[in-house]
Amino acid sequence: MTRDTQKWYDKPVSKLILITIALTWFFPIFGFVLSSFRPGESIKRTSWWEALFTGQIWSEMTLENYSEIFFADGLNRSFYNSFAVTIPSTIIPITIAAFAAYAFAFMEFKGKNVMFLLVVGSMIIPLQMSLVPLLQLFKSGAEVFGVTIIPALDINGTYVATWFAHTGFGLPLATFLLRDFMMGLPKSVIESAKIDGASNFTTFFKLVLPLSVAGIAAFGTFQFLWVYNDFLVANVFLGVYRPENLVVTSHVSQLAVGQFGEAWHLRTSGAIISMIVPLIVFFSLQRFFVRGLIGGAVKG
Amino acid sequence: MKYKTQREKFLNFGISTLALGFFPLVWFLSQAILFRELTDILSRNVLMILGILVGSTFVFLLFFGMNKIISYSDKDSRDSLEARMFVGPTIFMIGLFLIYPAFRTIYLSFQDRYGTSFIGIENYTWAFSDAEMIVTIRNQILWLIFVVTFVLILGLAVGWLTDRLNKGEAFFKSIVFLPMAISAVGASAIFKFIYEYRPPPLTQIGIINGLRVSSDQGNYICGNNKEILGEIRRVGDENCLSPIGWLQQRDLSNLPFVQNLDQDIWLNNFIINIPLNTLLLMVIMIWMFTGFAAVVFSAGIKAIPSEIMEAGQIDGASEVKVFTSIVIPYIKSTIVVVGTYMVVTVLKAFDIIYVGTRGDLETNLLAVKMLDEFSKYRNIGRSATVAVLIFVCVFPVIWFTVKREREIAE
Repeated sequence: MTRDTQKWYDKPVSKLILITIALTWFFPIFGFVLSSFRPGESIKRTSWWEALFTGQIWSEMTLENYSEIFFADGLNRSFYNSFAVTIPSTIIPITIAAFAAYAFAFMEFKGKNVMFLLVVGSMIIPLQMSLVPLLQLFKSGAEVFGVTIIPALDINGTYVATWFAHTGFGLPLATFLLRDFMMGLPKSVIESAKIDGASNFTTFFKLVLPLSVAGIAAFGTFQFLWVYNDFLVANVFLGVYRPENLVVTSHVSQLAVGQFGEAWHLRTSGAIISMIVPLIVFFSLQRFFVRGLIGGAVKG
Repeated sequence: MKYKTQREKFLNFGISTLALGFFPLVWFLSQAILFRELTDILSRNVLMILGILVGSTFVFLLFFGMNKIISYSDKDSRDSLEARMFVGPTIFMIGLFLIYPAFRTIYLSFQDRYGTSFIGIENYTWAFSDAEMIVTIRNQILWLIFVVTFVLILGLAVGWLTDRLNKGEAFFKSIVFLPMAISAVGASAIFKFIYEYRPPPLTQIGIINGLRVSSDQGNYICGNNKEILGEIRRVGDENCLSPIGWLQQRDLSNLPFVQNLDQDIWLNNFIINIPLNTLLLMVIMIWMFTGFAAVVFSAGIKAIPSEIMEAGQIDGASEVKVFTSIVIPYIKSTIVVVGTYMVVTVLKAFDIIYVGTRGDLETNLLAVKMLDEFSKYRNIGRSATVAVLIFVCVFPVIWFTVKREREIAE
């Protein structure tokens, strides 16, 4: 008896349930995407499903909304801002964490266990705990017992504040994931490289890093999507009050909370532009993303 | 000989301090100051390009610099120094960005609104007595119960059902998983469009209100500002249903079916007080995360050895029986992991509320309240207190998971 001959709960039923769920899931996006191609006046005059049933929608299709939101409304600037925030915020934590992961995986040193415990333990700290102290730190520095450790930096509202914040918040997970991955690499290869006289630095760059590409991709995809889709950190450290500091998520949120009244033609097209990059990354790197996600289940 | 070891020790200590503390600090400060200065000098476009190119690679200078310094140390201790150089920046960054702020936030939660003078547990008594805070905590609990339960149930259903398919498994999973890729801000915008309310006589463009106003009442045909039988049926026609501002409904009292209920009965009173807008906002998060749960569960189900499944089926167990007595026990640990993930995610939910209602009309959650206290009410102490509350809720959940994982590993 194979699984296919099971009759009680037969396939048509489960297929029907699945199709219902899939349609329900897809439906919200559908009307939203259609509306993004309709002129602002039409969106307000007739609902999108009426326009679809009467066929009116095919004659009024336009790309005007997209060019308006992208060029006239300045979403292009926010779009580039998002990249300027996201790319360093992905590469910096990967770099720092890869070195640490190498040490945790292949080197022996004093305090290794304590340090690793610190890394893992810091995953439980929700980033909300860090926001206010970091804002103060970035603004006016830090003192310990009257000694200035970090001078007043005044970097809130610049890219570099978000890079650091995302690096700090992403590091525990990155270190943890990459160490896990590197532990799975054949130890003999690394040891033989060391016997051949290669320094740790060379072993890291020439051997371990190329072998860890899959692990790095897993975290990288996760972190890229996380940072690109993030609104909270961008809101806090870049701000939403100066238009030149907006990233796409904050720009779309500004549109959606209704500062522009009923500009649904801009809200829809803006939100869809903001989704293009994550969708491309998602579909091309889905495999890695899922892996990073599962690993990131306990990210702080 | 002894003198030399002392000298070496001293040298190594110096180098080690340089590598661990001083060098990451210099890197941190120089990158911060460099880009702060560049922000004012350069045009925006140049700054963006420079940010991507230099901002990403600046960190390599840190490691090459440290490597250079360490090459001056003696051979015997180089290994341990190198190890410290490798982990140093990570420890430094985690310390500065997570550990230090965590302690500082706890400290600030006992301070007044300026964060300057000690006021004891006043903020905590406020947190559990202030009317707005109580609503926030109530919402947070509702979110935890409903969102986590629904995501788990729907995720299990999709994961299990797609596994039974011969064809199209990837397709179905992709559709349900798709919302995970887009931002919570985008998802909230999508659902705001569905819940959209416009005062009559404007055409209803949100689908829920659109269907509502155009549903016929008895023999009377209603329409969404549409010409029916030569007559324009307007929104706001007194014979038809009027649109509802869904996200403004803090309870069910505006819905027709509860208006006839006898308010004195406990159950009816409970039903009337169901916070509708909060439930509708939860839908957004359930929509976003079901796919994630489904994908993880489906991977777990695939890992069940086929002999076990087949054995169950040969014994004549029904599909439901196989599901409850083989599949569920087998992927129990996966369910716990996803559940943990969802609890933590819900506790930190921010974007949906911010975009959906801005936390007004009794929809607030802790993460939004925390930022409100900081930037709207300018009260550092209370803001820190709310952050500590989030932390206190997250802590046992993850501690429990880590402990469990450890037990499994042993």
